[in-house]
Amino acid sequence: MIHSIAQKEFVSTLRDRRFVVLSGLVLALLLAATLVGRASYRSLQQERELAQGTVNEQFRNQPARHPHRVAHYGSFAFRPKSGLSLLDAGVDTYTGSVVYLEAHQQNSVNFSQAQQSGSLIRFGEMTVAFVLQLLVPLLIIFLCFGAFTQERETGMLKLLLSQGVSLRQVAWGKIRGLSQAVALVVAPALGLAAALLFTGEEFAAGPDLLLRLLLFGLSYALYFFLFVVGSVVVSARQASSRAALVTLLGLWILGCIILPKATANLGASLYPTTTKAQMDAQVHEQAQHGINGHDPHDQRAAALKAALLKQYGVDSEEKLPVSVAGLQMAAGEAYSAKVYQQHFAALNATYQRQNRLSDWAGLLNPYQAIRPLSMGLAGSDFAHYVHFQQAAEAYRYMLVQRLNHLQAGMGYGDKERRLDARTWRELPVFAYHAPTLGWAWPHLLLPLAALLLWGVGLSWLGLRLISTTSVT
Amino acid sequence: MTYLLEARALRKQYADKLALRGLDLQIAPGEIFCLLGQNGAGKSTTINLFLGFVSPTSGAAFVNGLEVAANPLKIKEYLAYIPEQVMLYPHLTGLENLALFSSLAGYRYSQPELQGYLTDAGLPAEAVRRRVGTYSKGMRQKVGIAIAVAKHAQVLLLDEPTSGLDPKASNEFSELLRRLSAQGTAVLMATHDIFRAKEVGTRVGIMREGELVDVRPTAALNAQELEQLYLTYMH
Repeated sequence: MIHSIAQKEFVSTLRDRRFVVLSGLVLALLLAATLVGRASYRSLQQERELAQGTVNEQFRNQPARHPHRVAHYGSFAFRPKSGLSLLDAGVDTYTGSVVYLEAHQQNSVNFSQAQQSGSLIRFGEMTVAFVLQLLVPLLIIFLCFGAFTQERETGMLKLLLSQGVSLRQVAWGKIRGLSQAVALVVAPALGLAAALLFTGEEFAAGPDLLLRLLLFGLSYALYFFLFVVGSVVVSARQASSRAALVTLLGLWILGCIILPKATANLGASLYPTTTKAQMDAQVHEQAQHGINGHDPHDQRAAALKAALLKQYGVDSEEKLPVSVAGLQMAAGEAYSAKVYQQHFAALNATYQRQNRLSDWAGLLNPYQAIRPLSMGLAGSDFAHYVHFQQAAEAYRYMLVQRLNHLQAGMGYGDKERRLDARTWRELPVFAYHAPTLGWAWPHLLLPLAALLLWGVGLSWLGLRLISTTSVT
Repeated sequence: MTYLLEARALRKQYADKLALRGLDLQIAPGEIFCLLGQNGAGKSTTINLFLGFVSPTSGAAFVNGLEVAANPLKIKEYLAYIPEQVMLYPHLTGLENLALFSSLAGYRYSQPELQGYLTDAGLPAEAVRRRVGTYSKGMRQKVGIAIAVAKHAQVLLLDEPTSGLDPKASNEFSELLRRLSAQGTAVLMATHDIFRAKEVGTRVGIMREGELVDVRPTAALNAQELEQLYLTYMH
């Protein structure tokens, strides 16, 4: 029975010209967004790979220099785009993509796409995720608002039920048939994306990407299922098609526009962040307490020198086998890196608290569950951004300390000497390895659980409500 | 004797209206019982109570000896229903609509069998593969009749079934009812059409303000007498 009703619903929907027009538009948008996303991915990825290669080469090809000069010359870390970011750009557009790596300070990641784009970026990007998260639900609403009300208004519900079908069976049949119609609209775009991801040489296709894409598709399937079930339930409980449509559109506005904004504002008020200027001032103030390797009158530097003399049992710096300045630099770097780490960690923790509030709101609003899940699977969420930021800092710290130790190894009078150009070619260059799904998984559990709870809860409660709905 | 349809002190109270005031009614196999009455008299409520679409406030409705409220799905095996306006699914053809409703009732027919039911109900052969959205009201009503016939139900519940049918189609419909009645099908038909009731019914009942005020065998009345009787109760 459910199969027959589902088939009828599917065939009727496909033959409905309104559906053909609307779904054609949504499908065209999805396909366009996929292709635009791929083009954007390709150009940005090429730019970043080229830039990373160029700065790496420039770094490796430095002439004979003093190591600390090399540390100040620095390098850049470019954040590679994740393959699935062509479907969901997440926070990538607003977070930076490049970080300047230099001695003594941890710079923030700069040059976001949003900074370099026009004012239109404020209205959001036309990504696949945008279409899937906001426009496909609208299509579903227009598709399903009359699922029950129209049957009731035309008397067809009575005719259906008189055949010995229960309301619950009618509802499941409709949900199945309408879900098939939605799948028909969405599947080609996801299929195209999969084909691009696994055939395009610019993508690092592998099991991780496959698993992420699979979960991406399943998560959206569940999200759309929620909208189908919700729309059918509302249609069953409303007296007229008009009332059902108004109710569903109201819920869409509440869930997709008002609640996310309200949660973001609430998060910002509950967990305020310091401004960049404030943070810079705080870091500068705290860094004062560490060794300043560039200041010969620094008391802590003098104490370190005294300790070294004692350690090596000599009475003057000239007799030390190591460069005092190099070790002072290393100690200063260790201290300032710790200060920076503390401040960045505190800032990131604040952002995470804000994001967590939004994630918990996913229990109230499926849109706020699919958004972090989608970004997380696409590797374009805040957690992935922080992963890059930390990888870049780890590399910077390793590089600078290695240079400091090269300097230390040069012994007394190092400032007058240089190390051979070959030295720089032996240093590792920055190579970022994006985290695997296993790493991202803990961040995705809450939104995934919220979505699953919605699926089970809405199916159970919704179908109970439908089975007690009025037939006449 | 087991009646195929039986109402015992059946009462339905809506929030602001008493729609049915203790209806007692028995319809035996092969009987065609026509319910006459104005709009709001309680005819459709009676049919809805037999279909289990509304719950009685008190009393009980029975189909083939089974209480409707206790067996809402089981009783539908014995019932077929034709509403006043058979809208059907406009994007499906007549054949597809019939196939759908038959499959829901548990019958899987071949295409020629489905076509046979439709043409027997009076639908032109050229129309069976056309989408119902292009049908006239009369043609849709004929598909509704085919749906009911294809279910092989023991009881037919008809709510103004000939409304909108042309005289020829109405006549064919009456003929069909007589044929089904001869096979033992019990029919409860709510109608405004006094002459159709006289022509096809075995008994007529007149409803007024939720009450079955008179029941007569049609053989005992001619059309004019029935009309006179009806008008007497309506004033």
